[in-house]
Amino acid sequence: MLIDRRLLQNVDWPLLGAATALVCLSAATLASLNPGRAGSSVAFRQVAWFGIGLVALFAVASLDYKKLVRVGPFFYLLGLAGIVSVLVIGRAVSGARRWVGVGPLTVQPAEVFKICFVLMIVWWLTSRWAQPVTGWTVAATLPIVVVPAGFIVKQPDLGTALLLFPVLIVLLVGAGMSLRLFGGLGVVGLSAAPLAWLALKDYQRERILVYLDPFRDPLGSAYNVIQAKIAIGSGQLLGKGVAGATQSRLSFLPERHTDFIFAVFAEMWGFFGCLILLSGYALLVLRGFDIAASAREPVGRLVALGATTLLATQVLVNIGMVTGLLPVVGIPLPLMSYGGSSMVVSLMALGLLLSVRMRQFQ
Amino acid sequence: MTVNYRPARFPTRRDPGQKRVILIAGLVSVAFLILVGQLWYLQVLEGGHFLEASDKNRIRVRPIAAPRGILFDRHGLPLVDNRPSFTLSLMPRELDRDPVKRDAVLGRVASLLQIPFEDLVDVASRVPADSLQPVRVRRGLTLEDVAKVEEWKLELPGIIVEVEPQRAYPTSRFAAHLLGYVREANDEQLKQGRYHRGDMVGQTGLERLLDEFLRGRDGGERIEVDAMGRAIRVVQQTEPHPGAAVITTIDRRVQETAERAMEGRAGAVVVMDPRSGDVLAMVSTPAFEIDRFTGTIDRNAWLRVIQDPGHPLLNRTIQTQYPPGSVFKIVVTAAGLQEGTLTPSDRVHCTGEFHLGVWTFKDWKKQGHGNVDLLRGIRDSCDVFFYNAGLKVGASAIAKYAAAFGFGAPTGIALGGEKFGFIPQPKLSKKGRPIAWHAGETVNMSIGQGALLVTPMQVAGLMSAVANGGVLWKPRLVQRIERIDKGVVWNDPGKVTGHVELSPVVWAFLRQALWAVVNDGGTGGAARIPGLDVAGKTGTAQIIAKSKSEKGQDHAWFAAFAPVKDPEVVVVVLVERGGHGGDVAAPIAKQILSTIFLEKVAVAGFPG
Repeated sequence: MLIDRRLLQNVDWPLLGAATALVCLSAATLASLNPGRAGSSVAFRQVAWFGIGLVALFAVASLDYKKLVRVGPFFYLLGLAGIVSVLVIGRAVSGARRWVGVGPLTVQPAEVFKICFVLMIVWWLTSRWAQPVTGWTVAATLPIVVVPAGFIVKQPDLGTALLLFPVLIVLLVGAGMSLRLFGGLGVVGLSAAPLAWLALKDYQRERILVYLDPFRDPLGSAYNVIQAKIAIGSGQLLGKGVAGATQSRLSFLPERHTDFIFAVFAEMWGFFGCLILLSGYALLVLRGFDIAASAREPVGRLVALGATTLLATQVLVNIGMVTGLLPVVGIPLPLMSYGGSSMVVSLMALGLLLSVRMRQFQ
Repeated sequence: MTVNYRPARFPTRRDPGQKRVILIAGLVSVAFLILVGQLWYLQVLEGGHFLEASDKNRIRVRPIAAPRGILFDRHGLPLVDNRPSFTLSLMPRELDRDPVKRDAVLGRVASLLQIPFEDLVDVASRVPADSLQPVRVRRGLTLEDVAKVEEWKLELPGIIVEVEPQRAYPTSRFAAHLLGYVREANDEQLKQGRYHRGDMVGQTGLERLLDEFLRGRDGGERIEVDAMGRAIRVVQQTEPHPGAAVITTIDRRVQETAERAMEGRAGAVVVMDPRSGDVLAMVSTPAFEIDRFTGTIDRNAWLRVIQDPGHPLLNRTIQTQYPPGSVFKIVVTAAGLQEGTLTPSDRVHCTGEFHLGVWTFKDWKKQGHGNVDLLRGIRDSCDVFFYNAGLKVGASAIAKYAAAFGFGAPTGIALGGEKFGFIPQPKLSKKGRPIAWHAGETVNMSIGQGALLVTPMQVAGLMSAVANGGVLWKPRLVQRIERIDKGVVWNDPGKVTGHVELSPVVWAFLRQALWAVVNDGGTGGAARIPGLDVAGKTGTAQIIAKSKSEKGQDHAWFAAFAPVKDPEVVVVVLVERGGHGGDVAAPIAKQILSTIFLEKVAVAGFPG
């Protein structure tokens, strides 16, 4: 037998249940966006990706995460190669090169890279060279994140690149970095912000300016934020239902299948619906932190912490940007946004969590 | 069944790593709570506001223009009608936000319809980009143009073809000055705040005077649209209220006849009912092409009209002043007879010249009229007779009667821009002697020359008073205004503005003399109609020649009423630089009178 019977007993069913429920909401939302066959075909593909993702999830869960971490550097280089390949052979969609063709599929290597990145950082931080975590460790860690982040920004995909940093910071803290060092890094990071400004593209700067003042250009770059806010707000307490969701169905909302799908859901189901959706994510994330907390050895804890932070950050940043709390960076909402790469990678992250949970008593 | 043993999730003693995970989980939870707070703010606290905003997003208001009220003649024939017309409009909200793409769309429209590209850009840049109101760019598209726009529709976001009712006229220049033209509200009118951009507003004539009644109330459709501005469904519809119907005093047949008779000449015709002051026809030539003025007129065509030396925009019946010429002899006669300074038996021997001091005044007839009494003086329009008569009657008395007949003051006609005319009056000293007044001026004035100026409408008032025995009516153009839903909303019962008090004998003499002008070998013989007793007076107003080419080109007058017994119609004809009134103006009056009394004349002309 591939998996030990004892392992199966420790499968975290609430975690899987929450994920399945969220995907169901996603499929329903996608189906209601386009009436008739077009809608159901999008929803069906999302469910199909969920199926593929589940296979990946169980494949990851069935492997011992320690073995995965051991070959972390290999995955990391593989992921890095994927990112670089995008810049060379990638397909451009609306000005961004984020996708590469693999057989009949198009894959977003930057999405896949996230998992590789977590494994790599855990491998590095639990290795004897990195312990104990000091300023030197942090300095030595920087190239591991800056190099791929640089390539990803080039695509350009600022959101995914920025996502690597909170994951890195949480893993550093989890690996025992002193909080004083953490504070020092924070100060350095803030003072480096003006430099980052210079590195941004014009449209990225515009997004940040719009974030600070949404009515800077109501029909231009701020259009997305304003329309999303109108969609969410007009849902009010109970939502407008599927038929009444004019913002979403009359396509005032941009990116409504992908990055802005939360606004669609919020318009249809209102504040109460959003509470349910957020509870689902909260359950998922807190369960992940629980797995990290109850892991008995550092590798498992850091793997669980990394995977959870990866998901939690995406959820918080995505909803934060759609509700106008954060500037618009292209980050999908895990499990909800339409897209195969994001779905499979999110489920692989859950697979890592399951893997840690199942082996916590070994 | 065995119960699986599970150890407690959290060991009683937590290691430091565990504490950090819990700390991070706490921070993430706080972040989740902040999201909940933001959702509470957006959806519950500000939800109503955003709901409104989402409705504003999806609902477009598309105005449905109310058909403008129709103007009818006195017999119920339309003077102006509406027909559907196609209008090219921009929907600012739906134009591309990218100026380059927007200009590409406008460029395509410009080349499709042969409109100057700058005009389109000018219009597009003058309205706020998020405006929901369509902006009319060009009215009166041909079916071919409409087909072109519809064919390219998908490539022309923000460009629509609207159907609007537009004015249609029987002929290109029909009653142009009376009706007036209708055009989009100009900047000045927009500033007053009563109109929206693109509203059709009466700019001159009755259209302007009665705009309030004629315009009606636009209806509208509330349409749900998607983000591309494509209409999904009609949410609500309000029917437009058509403008009120205006029943004028005009007789379309008479108006048309008068216009035809004046074709090719500059001048004016007024046809009036002396029993009520009703204006049956009002013609001013040259007229402008009223149908070209409706809707959009390009700058060049507009400039051509404005700079036309014939001043086609001028309504010559009320806005231009002329010396009345011999028509004024009626006033001198009335003044003299009533004041007793003149009698029908007064005689003068006319040699064709009249001497006053060192000056010589000539008669229009070089060889003179010979022995002339008052009746002949009027019939043959003898100037020399009236030079003498004028001096006898005196300038002050002439001026007094001229004023009594309505000269020197507006007739009170509702149309704007009416000129007053001018009666020269000697100032009198305390002893009653004229100051700074030369007797020559009196001489000139007595044949309607000199500084004396009148409008054709004032002459119509004079003739009406002669015809009806002294009643001065305010010329009436509009009988009543009716609304479909409310019935008569306005009506004009007619207004008497004055009385000319003359003894019946004087009235009788005047009518007899004027009858003789037409029917007894007088100067107005050209207006004689068998079977109809026409009375009239010719006039030939000399104008001071500004150049040699203008010399000899006098204004030709003919003022008439008929039938002499119980007059029903007054006709005044003025032809600018036409020559002799009897040769030029009288035949035109005859043409008009024949039309009006066609049946009566036919019956009288072919008895049995």
